[in-house]
This record gives sequence, C-alpha cells and structure tokens, in this order.
Amino acid sequence: MENFLNLILDPLTGLLMKFKLFVPNFLAMLVILLVGIILALIIKHLLAKFLAAVNFDAWSDRKGFTRLMRKGDLWSKPSAMLGTLVYSLLVIITLMSGLSALQIPAIDHLVVQFFSYIPRILSAAMILIIGYMLSGFANRAVLIAAANSGFHSAKLLAEAIQTLLIVLILSMVMEQLQIAPSIVFAAFSIIFGGIVIALAIAFGVGGIDTARRIIEKEITKNGDEHPKDEIEHI
Amino acid sequence: MKTATFRAEVAQQIERIGQAEIVVGIPSYNNARTIGHVVRAVQGGLAKYFPEHKAVIVNSDGGSIDGTSDVVHNASFENFNAIFLRHRVSPITKIVFPYMGIPGKGSAFHSIFEIAGLLNAKACVVVDSDLRSITPEWIELLVAPVLNGGYDYVSPLYHRHKFDGTITNSIVYPLTRALYGRRVRQPIGGDFGFSGSLARFYLGKDVWQTDVARFGIDVWMTTTAIANGFKVTQSFLGAKIHDAKDPGADLSSMLYQVVSATFELMETYHDVWMPIRGSEPVPAFGFEYTVGLEPVNVNTARMLIIFREGLRNLGEIWLNILGTGDFCEVERLGTLTDEEFHFPIGLWTRIIYDYALAFHKRALPIEHLIKSMTPLYVGKTASFILQAKDMGQQEADAEIEKLCMEFESRKDYLATSWK
Repeated sequence: MENFLNLILDPLTGLLMKFKLFVPNFLAMLVILLVGIILALIIKHLLAKFLAAVNFDAWSDRKGFTRLMRKGDLWSKPSAMLGTLVYSLLVIITLMSGLSALQIPAIDHLVVQFFSYIPRILSAAMILIIGYMLSGFANRAVLIAAANSGFHSAKLLAEAIQTLLIVLILSMVMEQLQIAPSIVFAAFSIIFGGIVIALAIAFGVGGIDTARRIIEKEITKNGDEHPKDEIEHI
Repeated sequence: MKTATFRAEVAQQIERIGQAEIVVGIPSYNNARTIGHVVRAVQGGLAKYFPEHKAVIVNSDGGSIDGTSDVVHNASFENFNAIFLRHRVSPITKIVFPYMGIPGKGSAFHSIFEIAGLLNAKACVVVDSDLRSITPEWIELLVAPVLNGGYDYVSPLYHRHKFDGTITNSIVYPLTRALYGRRVRQPIGGDFGFSGSLARFYLGKDVWQTDVARFGIDVWMTTTAIANGFKVTQSFLGAKIHDAKDPGADLSSMLYQVVSATFELMETYHDVWMPIRGSEPVPAFGFEYTVGLEPVNVNTARMLIIFREGLRNLGEIWLNILGTGDFCEVERLGTLTDEEFHFPIGLWTRIIYDYALAFHKRALPIEHLIKSMTPLYVGKTASFILQAKDMGQQEADAEIEKLCMEFESRKDYLATSWK
C-alpha cells in the first residue's frame, strides 16, 4: 500500500519541486520582459528626439531613403520607422533573454541559435544600407556625367546601372543571411550573365550601325559630325 | 603651418643666394614647347625694367617628362640690344626643381611662396608656363605696382575674344565682384604680382593639404587678398594667348574646380561679404590698347543640345536646387528654338546664388552638385554667344557689366537665405 502511495506521490512531489524551481525562473522572465520593454520604449523615445534634432528625416529625403520606403509601401516618417525598428529589435532581444531565463534546454538552444545569427543580420543590414547609398551615388554620378556629355538616354543608363548594383547587393545580403545560398548564387549568375549577354546582343546585333560608328570614331578619332568648339572657358 | 621641403641642392642654392628682391615663379607641367619663351620674356623684363634689383626665377615643376626643366635651364635672353639695354647690373639666378606634395598648381605655388619667404623677397610674380603672348613688359606691369606703388596684389587685365573666359565672365567675375565689392576683372587670370608680405600671409594659411593645393589657387589668391584688406590693383597686359589646352579636358571638371573653390571661399569669408553691397572699381596700371584676336569657332547648336538633354535628365536635381519657380522658367527655355533661345540674366543670377546656397547646405555631394550645373552653364554660354555674335567688344563687355549689376542687385536674396 505504501509502495502504491509512493508511486502516486513521487511524481507529484517531483512536479511540485519542478514547479518550485520554475516559478522563480518564470518570475525572472516576467521581470526581464517588463524591464526590457520599458527600456526599449525609453530608448525609442530618446532616439526619436535625437533623430528629430539631427534632421534625420530631411537627410533621408536627400539620400533617397524616404523614396525607397515609399516604393516599399511604407508611409511613416523615416525617423519613426528607424525608432520602430530599434524598438522591435530590442523587444526581440528582451524576449529571447527572458525565455533563456526559463532554463529549458530546447528554448536555450533556440536562443543560442538566435544570438549567433544576430551578427549576420547586422552585417546584412550594413551591406544593404551602404550598398543602397553607393548605388544611389553611382546612379547620380552616371546620370550627371552622361547628361553633361549630351547623351540622350542618360536617365535610362543611370537607372540600369543602379538596378544592376541593387541586384548585386541583394544577392550579397541573401548570401550573408544564408538564405538558400546555392539558389541565390545560381539565380544571380543567371540574371547577371543574362543581362550582359542581352546587352551584348542588343548592341552587337540590334545596334550594329551604332557599334560600327563608335568603333570607326575610336579608330579615326575624327568621327564627330559637329565642329569642335574653340572657346577657352577659363 | 605646413612647410614645403626642398631637396638638399635646392636648399643649398637658396642659402647661397641669401636674399632677393624679386622672385618670379613659373609653375609647369610638360610645357617644354612654350616655357622657353616665358623664361626669356621674364629675363628680358627683369633686365630691362629692374636691372638694379636682385632677382630669382623659380620653376616649380610637377614632374614633367618632356624635358621642361632642361628647357628652363638652357633658356637665356642674350639679345639685350633688341630691348635697347646696354648691360645688366644684377645677375638673374634660376632655381629649377620638382615640387613636393599634392600634385597641382597650388602645390607649385606653395613652393614658390616658400622660396620667396626664404629669400625675403619684396615683390613676387607668378606667370603661366604656356603663355605665347607674354612680353618683358608684363614683368614691369606686375612688379612695379608692388615695388613702386605700394600695392600688395596685382591682378591681370587682358584683351580676350568676347567668347573666351566664359566661366570668368558669367560666374567668377560677377560673383566675386558682388560678394567682396571690388571689380577685379580677371580673378582667375593666372598671372599675378604680389608683395613679399602677402606671400608670407599666404604661407601662413593652412590650406596646402586641401583642394587649394590642387586647383582653385588663382581664385583663392585673389579672394584672400581682397577679403583680408590687402591693397589690390590691376595691370593691363595686352592679349592673352596661350598654348592650346588639352582637347580632352572635361568642361564639367573645370567648372567643378573653379566653382567649388569660389563657393568654399564664400564659407570662409561669409562675415566679410555678408554686409557688402555694391562694388567699387579697382585702379589699373598699363596703357590699354586694342589687339587683334583670332576668331573662335563655336557650335551653339551642340551647346543647346547639351542644355536640353540636361533639362530632360537632371530636371529632378535642378528642381530641388532651384525651386519650382525658377525651374519652370528653365523648363520654358527648353521649349525655345535655337533662334529664340535667350537665357535671362536675372534667372542666371538666381541659379548661381541657389547653387551657392545648396553648396552651403551640402544638399548633394559637392562634385555632383556643381557638375549638375554644367548644362545650365552651357545654355547660358550659348545664349551669350547668340546674343553677342554681331556685337563689338565694347557691347559684349556692356552685357557682362549688366550681368554684374544683376548679381549686385540680387545679393540681398543670397545674404538673407544664407543661414
């Protein structure tokens, strides 16, 4: 009879012991979540004030980030968007820290995986931001140089170069995030190679006369139908 | 203050010379074809007009590979009878060396200022090494106002074809005149005279690691002299004819170099130019005479194509810089035929001021900002050429004067928008 009672009580005692151990961890998780979310809200508020003070929205307008957001159907201010991003990131980190306080092996493993993935997310974000800025810079540089030369399709050329750069940057980002790297590599090679071949065919076959004129002009150095200006600008 | 370093033999040569009253600097880079004539003209000028003064010719070279230095070494003016000269009392020494530092005309000038300082020169002159029209009289006209007239800075006055010097005529001259209130006609002329004390003042400025070392040295020298209250004058030198420039030289790069240097100086001296209104003439030396100038071929049709392509492709950038009102006016210009095309001077003035303000606010990367102005400048130049094609020199000069007055009268807009 005593054995039978033990058979019933032992699991209950074990469960109680586990519950006693779990409660402080659970409370710790709640505290971490509470403090983390409050801190995240404070940081979001301070960041919003800081960004307003440094005219971040005007800077984003100039750098083209606002336009990029609008293209992505995001209609909030860039400063508000950045604040929300930082807040969300902090909440996720808080959540992960809180879950790790529970000391459950399966969750611990998930948390470790998450934190080891963060550097990749950050470097991908850096590649995306810097790459986007560089592609915008390249777009403007090509546009101005081509327009100053009197090139009729300057805008098209500049947009094409920016698109190619963005494709390259997105491939790098995907590769950094380890999202189907082999597919990304293959897709990038196919797209990039395809564009180059298409341009070569378009120029070499479709624009054969233009190609001939350019080559002849290069060889003779005398192909300009317009007489040269002799103005001394300075 | 960052000082230039000279090689041991140059330092020894300077030490041997000890002191000189006149230093003539000639910056060069692959100018073997023309520099011999320049050196001989300088020697002739020094021998004829300043025989009692100890003078040094300094060739500051940017690493020429065409034998420029050899030409300078070998160039010698010997036919003194041709300039009615019996003998020369003081010898003329030549210092020929490759300058160190950032490659550019500014670095070459920095070394010349250094040598002028070390030799305790009373008067200095710098002349371009590609000049074909320089005569011995240029040296008198650039040195005498300093040595005998008590002036610190002598800017050149030239006769040029009415279509030449368009960056000077449509941007740099009207802008510097309106800003600093002095009518220095050729602020980026390239051939200047200045006192030893001004050379030392230039040396004291910490700009030799900036773009001034590369380009923009001419407008920097003129503006620094005016803005710091040095006594400024001008000398009429006659016609300016120089070796053909590199045909591959990119107009937008040239525009960028000159305009960015001018705008940068607006930042440095905003306290100086802000309260100035109107302008006053700068005294001029020399006997002004008419010279025959070679005709200049211009293709206005191609210039207007560049303007219209600029409007089509750079419209968004221009709209941001100029605002809706002026951009609409530029758009209207795009619809005119070649025969009707006329760029109003009021619009051009506001464009330059708006670009200066955009530069001040760093609205775009500086190079992009200023290069985006190229089609507008080309349109303005085409308009001036169409307007002045049947005009005489005086009428063309009167048009430039009108533009200058427009810059002066609209300066309030610039001053009030500058924060």
